[in-house]
Amino acid sequence: MSRPNTGEIDPKDTARAEIRSYAIGFVASLLLTGGAFAVHLSGLSVSWKIALICAAALVQIVVHLRKFLHLSFSGEQSREDLLLVLFSVCLLAIMAGGTWYVMADLGERMHQSGMDGAPMHSMSAD
Amino acid sequence: MNEANLYPGLNLGGGHGDAHDQAENTVFGFWVFLMSDLIIFGILFASYASYRDPIGLAGGPGPRDLFDIESVAIQTAFLLVGGVAYGGVSLAVKYETGRAKVIAWLLLCAALGAGFLFFEVKDFITQAGKGGVPQASGWLSSYWALVGLHGIHVLSGIVWILAMIAQIIKRGMDDTVKVRLSMLGVFWHFLDLVWVGIFSFVFLVPLA
Amino acid sequence: MSRETSPIVGRLDWTVTPYTDLLREVNSSTIVGAGAASVLVLGAIAGVVLLTWKRWWAPLYRDWLTSADAKKIGIMYIALGLVMLARGIIEGFVMRAHQASALGTLAQPESGLVAPDHFAQLFSTHGTIMIFFVAMPLLIGLINFVLPQQLGARDMAFPVLNQISLGLTAVGAALVMISLLIGKFGTGGWTMYPPYTGIDFSPGEGVDYWLWAILISGVGSTLTGMNFAVTIFKERAPGMHFMRMPLFCWTSLCVAIMLIYAMPALTVSSGMLVLDRYLDFHFFTNDAGGNMMNYANIFWMFGHPEVYILILPAFGVFSEISSTFSGKRLYGYTSLVIASMSIAVISFTVWLHHFFTMGQSAGVNIAFGIATMIIGVPTGVKIYDWMATMWRGRVRITTPIVYLTGFFLLFVIGGLSGIILANPSIDYQVHNSTFLVAHFHNVIIPGVLYGMLAGIHYWFPKAFGYRLDETWGRRTAFLFVGGFVFTFLPLYVLGLMGMPRRSPTFQNPDFLPFMYIAAFGAVLMLCALAALIWTFWTSYRNRLSLAVPGGDPWNGATLEWSTPAPVPEWTFPRIPHVVARDDWGEAKRGEDPWKAPERYDDIEMPANTAHGLLIAGAAFAFAFAMVWHVWWLAILSFLALPGLLILRGMMVIEPRVISAAEVEEADRRFRHQVANLTPVTRADEETELNRGVPDVSEFAG
Repeated sequence: MSRPNTGEIDPKDTARAEIRSYAIGFVASLLLTGGAFAVHLSGLSVSWKIALICAAALVQIVVHLRKFLHLSFSGEQSREDLLLVLFSVCLLAIMAGGTWYVMADLGERMHQSGMDGAPMHSMSAD
Repeated sequence: MNEANLYPGLNLGGGHGDAHDQAENTVFGFWVFLMSDLIIFGILFASYASYRDPIGLAGGPGPRDLFDIESVAIQTAFLLVGGVAYGGVSLAVKYETGRAKVIAWLLLCAALGAGFLFFEVKDFITQAGKGGVPQASGWLSSYWALVGLHGIHVLSGIVWILAMIAQIIKRGMDDTVKVRLSMLGVFWHFLDLVWVGIFSFVFLVPLA
Repeated sequence: MSRETSPIVGRLDWTVTPYTDLLREVNSSTIVGAGAASVLVLGAIAGVVLLTWKRWWAPLYRDWLTSADAKKIGIMYIALGLVMLARGIIEGFVMRAHQASALGTLAQPESGLVAPDHFAQLFSTHGTIMIFFVAMPLLIGLINFVLPQQLGARDMAFPVLNQISLGLTAVGAALVMISLLIGKFGTGGWTMYPPYTGIDFSPGEGVDYWLWAILISGVGSTLTGMNFAVTIFKERAPGMHFMRMPLFCWTSLCVAIMLIYAMPALTVSSGMLVLDRYLDFHFFTNDAGGNMMNYANIFWMFGHPEVYILILPAFGVFSEISSTFSGKRLYGYTSLVIASMSIAVISFTVWLHHFFTMGQSAGVNIAFGIATMIIGVPTGVKIYDWMATMWRGRVRITTPIVYLTGFFLLFVIGGLSGIILANPSIDYQVHNSTFLVAHFHNVIIPGVLYGMLAGIHYWFPKAFGYRLDETWGRRTAFLFVGGFVFTFLPLYVLGLMGMPRRSPTFQNPDFLPFMYIAAFGAVLMLCALAALIWTFWTSYRNRLSLAVPGGDPWNGATLEWSTPAPVPEWTFPRIPHVVARDDWGEAKRGEDPWKAPERYDDIEMPANTAHGLLIAGAAFAFAFAMVWHVWWLAILSFLALPGLLILRGMMVIEPRVISAAEVEEADRRFRHQVANLTPVTRADEETELNRGVPDVSEFAG
C-alpha cells in the first residue's frame, strides 16, 4: 500500500501493508528492469528500443519514489518532499535539457565544415 | 508519547513534540541536499550525452567495445535488492523489532552494496585494459566521472552504514540515531534512482 | 614550472614567494607584489600581537569561533567579507592606476605599473574575491544575522552545519589570501576558462588555488542554502505564514533556492577542470575529444543564478529600508514577492547570454536573449514598488537612504545596459570590451555593495547596541556613489571606442583621458573604503552617545526590532506568536507593545563546539596540499573529514540550557529600561536623544 503514514498506526495492520508495498515495488522494479534489458536484447528498431528503455526508466523512477521513498500528495511531509522533488526535476529539466540543446546545436554547427564528415546526431552513431 | 507515533517510518507525518519536529527538519534538509546532488548527476548525464559523438569519442574505444551488459545486469540486481533490503531496516526501526534485526538488515545492505562495487570495479579494470581509460577521450572522461561518482556515493553509503552500526551499538536506538537511519534510507534509495538512470541512459541507450 | 615534486613538501620551495621575484629583478611590478605580500604578513603579525596583548585569544575562541549562534556566525561572515573587500578595492585601484599608465607604443607595447602577468593575476583575484569572498560572505552573513530574527526563530535549522559552512567559506578566502605570499594566483580571470587554464597552458599552482578555493567555499555555500531553506520552511514562529514574512525573508528564500540548485553546477565545472588538470581527463582540452565550450555552458549555469543570488538579498534590504525610513508600509508586497520568485526561477533560463559569441546558431541566441529581456521585467516592478513606497512618506535621508537613492539612479542605468547586451547582435559588437566591465560593475556595485552596506548600517545597532555615525556613514555613501560614477561610466565609452577588457596595455592615445577619469574614480573608491573604516572606528569611540538599548532605533515594523540591542543570544525570551504582516508594527499600533510575556521557560541553545573549526582546518590542509602536490598531507587531511563526521556522530551532544530565571532577569531588566527611556520622534532620530525607543504615536507604517 502506498498510503502515506498519518501518524495513527495500527502496528499489525500497517506492518503487513508496508511489507506488501515494498513487495509490489520490488516486483514492479524487477519487471521494469528486466523489461529494459529484454528490449536491449530484442530485435526491435533502434528508435523503438530507445523509447522503450527511456519509458521503463521513467516509470521505474516513479515506482521507486512512491513505493520505497513513500512520496505522495497526501500527508503533509510526504507532499512537501514530493513538491520539492518535482520542483527539482523542473529545474533539472531546464539545466540538463538546456545543456543538451545548446551543446547539440553547437556540435552541429562546429561539424558543418565536415572535418570527418561523420553524421553527428543520429543516436546510433556509435 | 508513543514511540511508534513519534517515528512512523521514512516519511514523518503526524505525531508531535520536539524530537519529531527535529526529525522532520533534518530529513527534509537531507532531501534538499540530495536534490542539490541530483543536479550534479543531471549535469553529468547531460555532459555524457553531449560527449557521445565521434568528436567526443576521439577515435578511442566506444560503448560497443567496452560495455559488458551482463555485468551491468548483475550490478543492477545487487543494487536493486540492496535498495529493497533497506526496507527491512526501515520496518525494523519503525516496529521496534530489536537492535539485532536492524543491524542484520544494515549488514545485508552493506554486503549487497559491496557486491555491486566489486562488479563495477571489475568492469572498470577490464575497460581500462581494453584502452578505455578516462584519459583516452572526452567521452570516456565523462563516462568515468559519472559512473565513478555514483560508485563513490555507494562507497560512502557503505561507510555510512558501518558508522550507523557503530552508533547503534554505542548509543542505542535513540532519537538521533533513528533520524540518521531515516536519512541513510533516503540516501540509499536515491542511489538506486540514479542507477536506474545510469543503466538506462549510460549503458542501454548507447548500445541500442 | 617544471620543478621536481618532493615527496615531503611537494612543489613548495623557497623560490615561490614574491620576495624572490623582487630579489631577482627590481621593478614597479615586483615591488607591488612584494608590498602586497608584506601587507598580508604584517597584517597577520599585527593581528596576532593585538590578540595576545589584549588577551583576546580565549574570548575569540570561546565566544566566536566555537559559537553555533547564527547571529555571531553572520557577524563573522560580514567581518570576513569586509576584510576581503578592502583587498578587492585596493586591487581595483592598482588596476586602474596601471591602466592609466599603460599607454604603449607599437615599438614598445608593454608599459605601466605592473607586468602583464601580474595584471592578469590582479583581475583574476579581484573578480574571484569580489564575487565569492566579498559579496557572498556579506549577503550570507546578513541573512544569517537577520533571517532567524525576522522569522521569530531561535536559530538556524542546523546551527553546527552553519558553523561548518562559515569555516569552508573562510578556507576559500584564506587560500586566495595565501596565494599573495606563497606562489601565484591563476591568470584566467574569475571564470578561469579552459583550455587556457588547462594544464598545458597554465601548468603552475595558480589555477589550482582558484579551483580549490571555489570548490571548498562552494560546498559551504550549498550547505548554507540548504540551511536557509529548511529554516524558512520549518522554523517560522507560529502564525508567521508565508505571506506574513518580511520581504527580506522572501528574498532569502530565493537565495536559498538558487544556492541549492546553482552551486552544484559550479562544483561540476570546477570538478571537471580538476580532473583535467590532475588526472589528465579530457573534458575541456583541445585534443582527444575535449570540448571547452561545455565549461562555459556549465559554469554559467551557475554563474547567472549567482548574479541574482548576489542581488536579491540587496533587494530584500532595500525593501526593508525603503519602508522603514519612509514610515510607510511596503507598497505592493504581493507583487514584490511574485517578482522575487519569478527572478529566482527565470534566472535559471538565461545563462547562455554570457557566451552569445560561442558559435551556436541564431535561434539559440534568440531564445536566451528573449529570456534575458524578460527577467528585466520583475526587476523593474521592484524599482517602481520601492519608489511608490517612498512616495509621500516621511523620508529621512539617513545613510541607507543615500545608498538607496544611489542605487535607484545607477542601477537603472546598469539594468538598461544589460537589456542592450541581451540583444545578441549588439552583444557581438561590445562583448569582451570594457562596456561589459562597466555593465556588470554598474549592477553589482549599486546593487550588491550599496545594498549590503545599507543593510549593515541598518542592522548594526541590533548587533552591537549602538548606531553607526550618520555623518560619516553618509560621507562614505556619497564617496562610493561618486567613486562608482567616475570609475565605471568612462568604461562604457572606452568599451564603445574598442578598449578590450582584461587588457594590460593599449596603443590608442584617445583612451587616455577616460583612463585618467577612471583612475580618479578609483582614488575616490579608496577614500570611500577609508571613510568606511573610519565610520566603524568613530562610532566605536562614541558608542556611549550612540547607544540604543531600547533596540528599535528606526521605528521599524518587523520582529527583530522588538528585542534589546545588542540582541541577546536567545533572541526572543519567548517565541512570538505572529498575528499580522509587520507584526511588531501592529503591536506598536496596539497597546503596550513592550508587554512582558506571561511566563518564561528554559531555553535550549546549541552547545558550543569546535567541530566547524576542525573541519575547516582539515579542508584547508587538504586544499593547500592539493595545490602544492603534497600528497601525504592531502590523503591524511581528506580522510580526516569523514573521520571527524563519524566521531561526532558517535557522541551524544546535549544542548546548552539557559535557565528561565536568567532569561526572565535579563528580559525584565530590558523592559524596565525601555519604560524609563524617553521615546524619540523621527525628527530627532539622528541625535543623541535616540536611545532606541521610538515614539509609538508616530508609527504609521
